[in-house]
Amino acid sequence: MNKSLHLLPWLLGLAVLAMLPQLITVKYYLHLSILALIWVIVAQGQNLIQGFTGYVSIVQAGFMGIGAYASTLIGLNFQWPLWLTMMLAPLITALFALATGYPSLRVKGHYFAIVTLAFNLIIVIVLVNYSELTKGEAGISNIPKPWGGSREAFYYLALALAASLTLLAALIARSRVGEILLAIRQNEDFVAAIGISAWKYKLFAFVISAMYAGLGGALYAHFQGFINPEIFGVAQSLDAILAVILGGSGTIAGPVIGAFLVVFLPEILRFADSFRLILYGLILVLATIFMPIGIVGIAKSAFARMTRRGGQHGG
Amino acid sequence: MLIEILQQTINGLAIGGVYVLIALGLTTVFGILGIAHFAHGSISMFGGYLTFFLVTAQGLPVLAAIPLALLAGILLGLLVEILAYRPVRNANHINAFIVALGLTMMVEGLNLQLFGHEQVVIPTGLSKVFRLGGITVPELRLYVILAAILLVVAMMIFVERTKTGQAIRAVAENRDAAILMGVNVKTIPLIVFSMSTALGVAAGIMVGALFAIAPGIGEGLVVKGFAVLILGGLGSFPGAILGGTVLGITESIAAGFISSAYKDVIAFVVMILVLLFRPQGLLGRAP
Repeated sequence: MNKSLHLLPWLLGLAVLAMLPQLITVKYYLHLSILALIWVIVAQGQNLIQGFTGYVSIVQAGFMGIGAYASTLIGLNFQWPLWLTMMLAPLITALFALATGYPSLRVKGHYFAIVTLAFNLIIVIVLVNYSELTKGEAGISNIPKPWGGSREAFYYLALALAASLTLLAALIARSRVGEILLAIRQNEDFVAAIGISAWKYKLFAFVISAMYAGLGGALYAHFQGFINPEIFGVAQSLDAILAVILGGSGTIAGPVIGAFLVVFLPEILRFADSFRLILYGLILVLATIFMPIGIVGIAKSAFARMTRRGGQHGG
Repeated sequence: MLIEILQQTINGLAIGGVYVLIALGLTTVFGILGIAHFAHGSISMFGGYLTFFLVTAQGLPVLAAIPLALLAGILLGLLVEILAYRPVRNANHINAFIVALGLTMMVEGLNLQLFGHEQVVIPTGLSKVFRLGGITVPELRLYVILAAILLVVAMMIFVERTKTGQAIRAVAENRDAAILMGVNVKTIPLIVFSMSTALGVAAGIMVGALFAIAPGIGEGLVVKGFAVLILGGLGSFPGAILGGTVLGITESIAAGFISSAYKDVIAFVVMILVLLFRPQGLLGRAP
């Protein structure tokens, strides 16, 4: 009974999203919805390392870039089919995440954040300067799109992937691994003290989160048909962090809501770029100080108060 | 070859001085407040931009613009401390850091709003070049190096020799004990923030005079600052000074001999190597 109550909002949400292309009349909103679904994947990944494990990684957009460029360049240079390159993208991103996660997870807290940020800077520098391969700042255009560029079809692809990866994140969170990740967030020394080698779990969370980003990046490349290094800069990594915080860090619904907000907010507010920075920064600061549990957290406690049943937990 | 290395070392000393100033500002704030002051770079650039506009738009002489920019920068830094860092003083480190990230976005946005997207160089009028053997030392670089040394020495004297400095060190060492000994822990963060921001703005002005200020430079600089701290050993003043100098020289030599496009990568590679093989840093004690 209780379980079906938890599932109900998810099924409703999925049903609404599945009908969305029929409900939307303005093509541009369909475009934004696809971007939001891609960001759901990226933010779910970010949430695994930031929300569950408690390590703020600032390289999520950089990993998106690796996925995007990997899929695009393999496709262009070896003429491999799009499906194959898109499946390879998260695997290649995982290799980079293994190599970068190992040294950066040696430091904790904000030093970890700074080291990962340095990786994001390196990725952008290499993408800009290794122009024989990446075409530098000008970027790569005419990237093949699936189904001749049909938006509706791509929408359902993004929805299917976002939904199944959200489910996967929920399964990870409920597993023993997820419990250990939460325990690391609460007290890492304690985890080590009971004989669990925390670094393996941290590295696992980091690599999985990167794979989410890599797939998101590949989807982005084949949806937009154009990529350049700027798209995968630190600012976008900060957007991923914002999505997690705003939605509700350490929850499964949080990144979904946060991703839609991060994509739709600037379109609704229509500010100049510098104002967007000030506003997003302000939201990040205010949200962290006044609602660190995010929208999902607030909704949950409001719901609990309404039904007068404290101590609800889970998804 | 040797001349070239010497030449790049001199060049590296100037940029190394900038890194040292930024890193010292970061490490003092972290020591007292436990906050990774990520907005430091952007506030420093605010000071640099302001100097540029006071000189070019208001026609002030550089030496008059610098104190004004220092003052404005310090005020901005204090505002940040009181409005944003203080509320998360007792929150966990992740939240404090995310607040710092948000602030960075805000200050970067403020810089864009006030000063625009253009890349600017602070005109100093210092164009003489000294020659020593085969080595050329531009006047400006020499003054930057000297100013950096002066500031570092002044800061060390302030922290090590004055009563206020003693209180700062006491709070960093043991906050509760310092309170019991009658140290006013409300004013100490403000003093530390002023000092750190002053060093930062000085570094920002140096960057603006030596190279250029542009959007995003501040973020890159603060990451380098943290790289210096990791390199030198967290919480160590001598480590920060050595780390910054080493990083500046390494970068400069690498830019001269390997590739200038990848010189920023080299800094981060050095940082990662240190993390792998000597995580406590060059001068840090083993945990």
